[in-house]
Amino acid sequence: MSRSGRGGGRGRSWGRGRPPGERSAARKAVIVAALPLALFAAVIAQLTVVNRLSLPGGDAPDLVLLLVTAVAVLASPLTGALAGFAGGLALDVAPPQAHYAGEYALVFCLAGYAAARASAAAREASADRSPHIFQVPRTELTVMAAAAAAGEAGKAAIGLLLSDPNVTGPAIRHALPGAVLYDLLLTPVTLWLVSLLAGRPAPDVAQAPAFAPAVRLGAVFRLASAGAVPVLFAPRKRLAGSGPDHQGPSWARREPKLRLSDARSRSVGGTNRTVSGIAQPLLAGGRASKLNFASHGRAQSLRGGTASRPSMARLAKSPSKGWLRRDRATWSAPARRKTPSRGWLRSSRRSVARPNRYASAPTGKWLRRSRHPWRRRGKRFLALVGGRR
Amino acid sequence: MHDQRRTRPVLIALLIVAIALITIDFRDGGNSSARSLGGRIFGPFEHLGGDVTGWFGGGGSAEITALQRQNDELRAELASSQTAGQDAAQLAGLFHLSINHGYRVVAATVIAAGGDYSDTVTIGAGSSDGIAANETVLNGDGLVGAVISVTRSTATVQLATDAGATVGIAAAGSGQIGALTGTADSMTGTAPLKLTMFSATATLKPGEQLVTFGSVGGRPYVPGVPVGRVTAVTTKPGSLTPTALVKPFADFTGLGVVGVVVSK
Repeated sequence: MSRSGRGGGRGRSWGRGRPPGERSAARKAVIVAALPLALFAAVIAQLTVVNRLSLPGGDAPDLVLLLVTAVAVLASPLTGALAGFAGGLALDVAPPQAHYAGEYALVFCLAGYAAARASAAAREASADRSPHIFQVPRTELTVMAAAAAAGEAGKAAIGLLLSDPNVTGPAIRHALPGAVLYDLLLTPVTLWLVSLLAGRPAPDVAQAPAFAPAVRLGAVFRLASAGAVPVLFAPRKRLAGSGPDHQGPSWARREPKLRLSDARSRSVGGTNRTVSGIAQPLLAGGRASKLNFASHGRAQSLRGGTASRPSMARLAKSPSKGWLRRDRATWSAPARRKTPSRGWLRSSRRSVARPNRYASAPTGKWLRRSRHPWRRRGKRFLALVGGRR
Repeated sequence: MHDQRRTRPVLIALLIVAIALITIDFRDGGNSSARSLGGRIFGPFEHLGGDVTGWFGGGGSAEITALQRQNDELRAELASSQTAGQDAAQLAGLFHLSINHGYRVVAATVIAAGGDYSDTVTIGAGSSDGIAANETVLNGDGLVGAVISVTRSTATVQLATDAGATVGIAAAGSGQIGALTGTADSMTGTAPLKLTMFSATATLKPGEQLVTFGSVGGRPYVPGVPVGRVTAVTTKPGSLTPTALVKPFADFTGLGVVGVVVSK
């Protein structure tokens, strides 16, 4: 029995990608002890209660399969496979079952592994922006429902393969649809319960730890070398965000803020250009996202367009000196139209977008991992759907 | 993600173990040591679970159990006396049966049931109550099945509706014999059993009652236990022997207290 062997894999895998020691030892021990107990309880409840209920249709849900798939979509493939094997084997050898021992162990093991792989791939591809249902992400719910249905089909298929006299065409036609239906009905509840007990992997928690320190620093330098305005500002924010308060909003969440301010400043430039020629220097000033971050009041007045123009003296008293210097340089540029505004705009846009892309590549191995067909297909699909920027 | 590299070998090892288990169980005819180990581990807990559900269901009151038990005992007695009176001597002469006329019935409650694809139940009495494999299980209505495996405190019963079960029967009126097999749909309710008569000249009428014919030594089926009633004759033109569908007397969806016929 793999019951003893499962503990180690589980404890590590729940903190997948996390710096070690982040989850407290006590919590880890509780989780390691809880899974075998939960599987055992599910097997007993399945045999003594659920199978004896005469539900409409004469079928019954499979609690063990539901538990295995719920654990699998929230955990690593290793945990999924081990939990599936243990749960299936327990269901195989517990007394009233008359099929060959190992049948359900095989099916549940594959179901758990596949569910965990699919869920991990979907989670990384979508960067977890999918809406939440019952406080759990929809991707995980979908994967779990598919895995449960596939598990039910697998139970029938392996019975057919081994020519179990009880698994005949009519029996499958009668039992399979009802069992799948009951499983699907119980899927959200099970996933919610399991995620509640196991400390749910909120999207931020699942995403944020995926950054290795090297990548973290790399993104900072890349940002710096791209010549983007928020060089001084953004990295400080990032490093703060990647500190001990790690579970806070991930970079992917924080990045759009910068971009928004950038976009706003660009629109400021647009309106100003139409209003008056004097506005152009202020466009350069407005380029700095710092402007918007520093004081909202000024941003408001800029957006007003025809409103009172802030005097240079007032600008000089702005809190950040770097901004001022940069602004003056563009101010003194003689040819307004030939300022590198366009290219600069584009490059700055890229400089904002690029860290975003890296941000969703979890570790230093992202190159190799991105070659995985599942992930690539997921990305392409999401790009088609528009789920990914 | 160092997990990823470790996962695949583990997965392959698990699959190999599962296939090995299936192979071993296949070779041992479904009675490998893994299964007996599982019975030993899960048996007591299922017993507990069965007690709890019985307590909650309210069906496990002592009075009802006692009455059921009495009913089962009378039924078994009647069956054995019928056999003894009518044609026990004839049967014994024919088949060298040593029919043991003294039966003891051990009453037990159903504590667990198999899944979608198996018509088996677990009862809360085992080898400590004198139950052994291949013994007849009946209830107040008629034949339920036969014990296929035993642990200390539980026994697994293969219902007569399981596709793997074959019961030798005799028509109550004419005495013609045949075999009754399950159709693997029993937990769902009203699935009929399939009857195939042995003799080409046998005639079947709807409404005819069937009793067990009895196996050698009363194992797994003691003779004379009512089984069911013929509902439809399905003999196909050109087939050698008559076939029919049989509705069992026992209600397999609501099994509560059953009796195991234990030879004294």
